[in-house]
Amino acid sequence: MTWTDEELVARSISGDSDSFNELVLRWERPIYALAYRTIGREEDARDVCQETFLRAFRALPGFRGQAKFSSWLYRIALNLCRDWMRRERRAQVVQPAEDVDLMELAAAAEPSESIEDLVARKDLTRLVERAMALLPEEQRTAIVLKEYHGLTFQEIAELVGCPLSTVKTRLYQGLIVLRRELAKNTKATL
Amino acid sequence: MLVAFLYDDVAGEPAGRALFEIHLETCARCQNEIAALRSVRTQLAHWSPPEPSFLVTSRQSAVASPQLPAVGQASWWREIPVWAQVAAALLFLGLSAGLANLDMRYDQNGLSVRTGWLKAVSQPGPPLLAPSAPIAPAAVARSGGPAEPWRADLAALERQLKAELRAAQVSAATSAAHPQPVRATTDADVLRRVRALLDESDKRQQRELALRVAEVMRDVNLQRQADLVKIDRTLGVVQSTLGVEVLRNRQKMNQMDILYRASQRQ
Repeated sequence: MTWTDEELVARSISGDSDSFNELVLRWERPIYALAYRTIGREEDARDVCQETFLRAFRALPGFRGQAKFSSWLYRIALNLCRDWMRRERRAQVVQPAEDVDLMELAAAAEPSESIEDLVARKDLTRLVERAMALLPEEQRTAIVLKEYHGLTFQEIAELVGCPLSTVKTRLYQGLIVLRRELAKNTKATL
Repeated sequence: MLVAFLYDDVAGEPAGRALFEIHLETCARCQNEIAALRSVRTQLAHWSPPEPSFLVTSRQSAVASPQLPAVGQASWWREIPVWAQVAAALLFLGLSAGLANLDMRYDQNGLSVRTGWLKAVSQPGPPLLAPSAPIAPAAVARSGGPAEPWRADLAALERQLKAELRAAQVSAATSAAHPQPVRATTDADVLRRVRALLDESDKRQQRELALRVAEVMRDVNLQRQADLVKIDRTLGVVQSTLGVEVLRNRQKMNQMDILYRASQRQ
């Protein structure tokens, strides 16, 4: 039987540790991905992810279900990311590696993907990372939550604590910057 | 509205979407804008974070202690893709077979598997698996000879095992009427002998490998010396050709000099 997040939360609060395990299994990838795209470092994203679940576990008895569990988790993760950036004084988030590790490339290859396609995909990934790194934190957060996590504008607005129209504006401005940077970088690589 | 339309997130304003669609049909600027932003979204879709190595892989490993929602550590080899593991295994098997000079043959005599560097290649060996034709001791002796005493031991061991199997079958058939026959050797003895044979085989393989390496080294040295001699000869030929050319050029220059002086005098 598949429990909903809220049911698992209730069972966890009543002392069922397996239920919290289930929540971790369900949400660790999205939280890690959010952290990575926000702060851009794998190691630190991993730490943020673990810290998010640690805090959630500790704060679980206080979770009253006003918001969805996932939104609550996202908020914890975003706060941790913000703390990390403040601590590190980093405006630039992603630092993609310049060199290409062929073994890593080969390992990342899809079964039906040629090495040329793979290299092109990696190049594009690097371009996107660089372009995203140029965005202000608010625009980047809005794009990450919308583009990669599929949150609605309303959910993003509640999560980051700003009006819905502001979310749309941030998203649009971010996309414009990305369009310009991606076009520039694509020309430069050709 | 443009962003809401782009992401199809028009909750609460369906009328606005309809109006925007009507506007879009006539506004080339908005059409271009939407197309460009969709292209950006397509590019963004290619950005995926690196696969984390710490993710929980089982329910049991998710919580290591009641206090911490710890996450499990995946084994390092699980990060290696399956194709790479298979390739490594095949490479290892190939190298092992090559090193042991493995020779597998399947013909009318059945399947025969031989190994080792000192065996005669052209000499056919007895089949190891020939269901209808058991290995004759004479054939074993012919194939192995004095250089392969383990073949005789193996044949003896096989005979012994067959005898024991037959005895076991007979005893099973007549277990009610007859007492169990006394075994000539126990299973432990058989195991010991097999191990001894394997040890001996290992040592022989090592000796043969060392011999083979020495042979290869000698061959490489001989080839190197031959190459050096060849290079030396080629250089000599080039030098002599060059010398002849220089002499010819000098003669031509002398002749031209003579002609020049003669023309000056005239």
